[in-house]
Amino acid sequence: MSSKVTERALNLIKSMPRVALNNIKPLPHTAFKKKTDRRGDRKKKGRGDKGQGARGTWDPLGYEGGQNPLIDTSPRERYYAQYAVRRQYPPVTLLELQRLIDLNRVNTSRPVDITSICNTGLFNFDISKNHFGVNLTDEGCDQFVAKINAEVQWTSELVIAAIEKNGGTITTRYYDPSCLAALYDPLAFFKKGQPIPKCKLPPQDALLYYSDPNSRGYLADPEKILEAREKLAQKYGYKLPDLEGDPVKEMLLMRKDPLQIFYGLEPGWIVNLRDKCVLKPKDEDYLKYYHSAH
Amino acid sequence: MLLVFNYPIERLGYRTDPILKLESVVSVLCIVENLLGLCAKNYKSHVSLDKLYPNSNPDFLRKTNEVPKSSSLEQFEGYIPIDQLEIATSKSSGPGGQHVNKVNSKVEMRFHLKSADWIPAWIKPKLLEQEHGRVTKDGFFVVRSDMTRKQMLNQADCLNKLRNMIYKASELPREPTTEEMELKEKRIAKAKAGVLKEKRSRSLIKQNRSSPQF
Repeated sequence: MSSKVTERALNLIKSMPRVALNNIKPLPHTAFKKKTDRRGDRKKKGRGDKGQGARGTWDPLGYEGGQNPLIDTSPRERYYAQYAVRRQYPPVTLLELQRLIDLNRVNTSRPVDITSICNTGLFNFDISKNHFGVNLTDEGCDQFVAKINAEVQWTSELVIAAIEKNGGTITTRYYDPSCLAALYDPLAFFKKGQPIPKCKLPPQDALLYYSDPNSRGYLADPEKILEAREKLAQKYGYKLPDLEGDPVKEMLLMRKDPLQIFYGLEPGWIVNLRDKCVLKPKDEDYLKYYHSAH
Repeated sequence: MLLVFNYPIERLGYRTDPILKLESVVSVLCIVENLLGLCAKNYKSHVSLDKLYPNSNPDFLRKTNEVPKSSSLEQFEGYIPIDQLEIATSKSSGPGGQHVNKVNSKVEMRFHLKSADWIPAWIKPKLLEQEHGRVTKDGFFVVRSDMTRKQMLNQADCLNKLRNMIYKASELPREPTTEEMELKEKRIAKAKAGVLKEKRSRSLIKQNRSSPQF
């Protein structure tokens, strides 16, 4: 039934003439030009008699005839300076993470990232409020005993020490808002039928943090991360566990590519939940786009 | 090189009320996990780590034989073997309510100084002299800390203190540099010149009290 409609439409278009200047309408605002009222354009130009009005010597805005203006009566307090631009990372404590693991709300046999934490239903963030992900804080660092591969957006040195002490790994990773929307609720995102977005690189003021091995940034040099791990172990007084024969080692080393947002899924793919398949682009331009950072 | 560490200030946590887990999300994840068999395990973009750092080994969990051989050390490098220290925890003192009363946040570290092979031998007598109050009758060197309310931070503080003590004991008396000697000479000369100036001015004052002689 839909094919008949499309057939008819195509036939109609075939019979129509080509688009040319003589068969298209002009844009609404160019249809006519408003005639200006030129009644006041003679002697006084609509400015009246004498005074500041005519001479254009108005006092500056806020001036109160020499009295201290209202704007100067109180000092400047820049609490909310650049509030719309500053990134926020709502906190999740190590204690809370341990609790989630103990209550089996989070699967530790797979990497724990922001999606795992959001899927528990206990953690919500709002992209419209400039929330850019999870900040793992150090409360409960003494009680943390889980061995996990954690991926968060912001953390501190003590948290990194607490996780590595137990044989786990932690990475700090940047996600741009459109990717975060997909990560927050993957089910809803897959239902939209949109291709998985590629993650943008962090903005300039965040690039340093995410390239720093001390903060275990995802763009940092792995050799330097090795050194940083040893240094931290010496600082906080624990021995780095030997993971040589550990079956979990592969899971602990699992990392997403800087442009990838889901483990095992490439950007550009469409996950079709209804037909239970994955649609992958074949076109060279698409592939080039989804493999480059620009 | 004196290693001095700064560590973060402890912060209060954040609590939420428990909400029921979504069943639908679990089922979707199961489907996605099944699909992972079809999915790329080796997706590498233009900014993947192997392209950014082509000479780096991505396995940063591998074991490295970094332990420096201690007795042949001429200088203390800062490395402390944690497994050779006896670490004990206990309750901290000071304010903090129920938390400080119940939680073992105080850390005590001890090791036998004479048999510690990770400290160069020439530093030990000086360390013993400077920190004699920390050494027990049995020869155990003790370091304690209950500075913060977190055991990890207190342990780090103990290690920091220990390192600083060893570094201080390993300071050698050094001869002054040419610059320092020049500075000293300059200062002495200036002081001397000041004294002479004062003497001359005093002398003039005294001379001016008497009548001039023609």
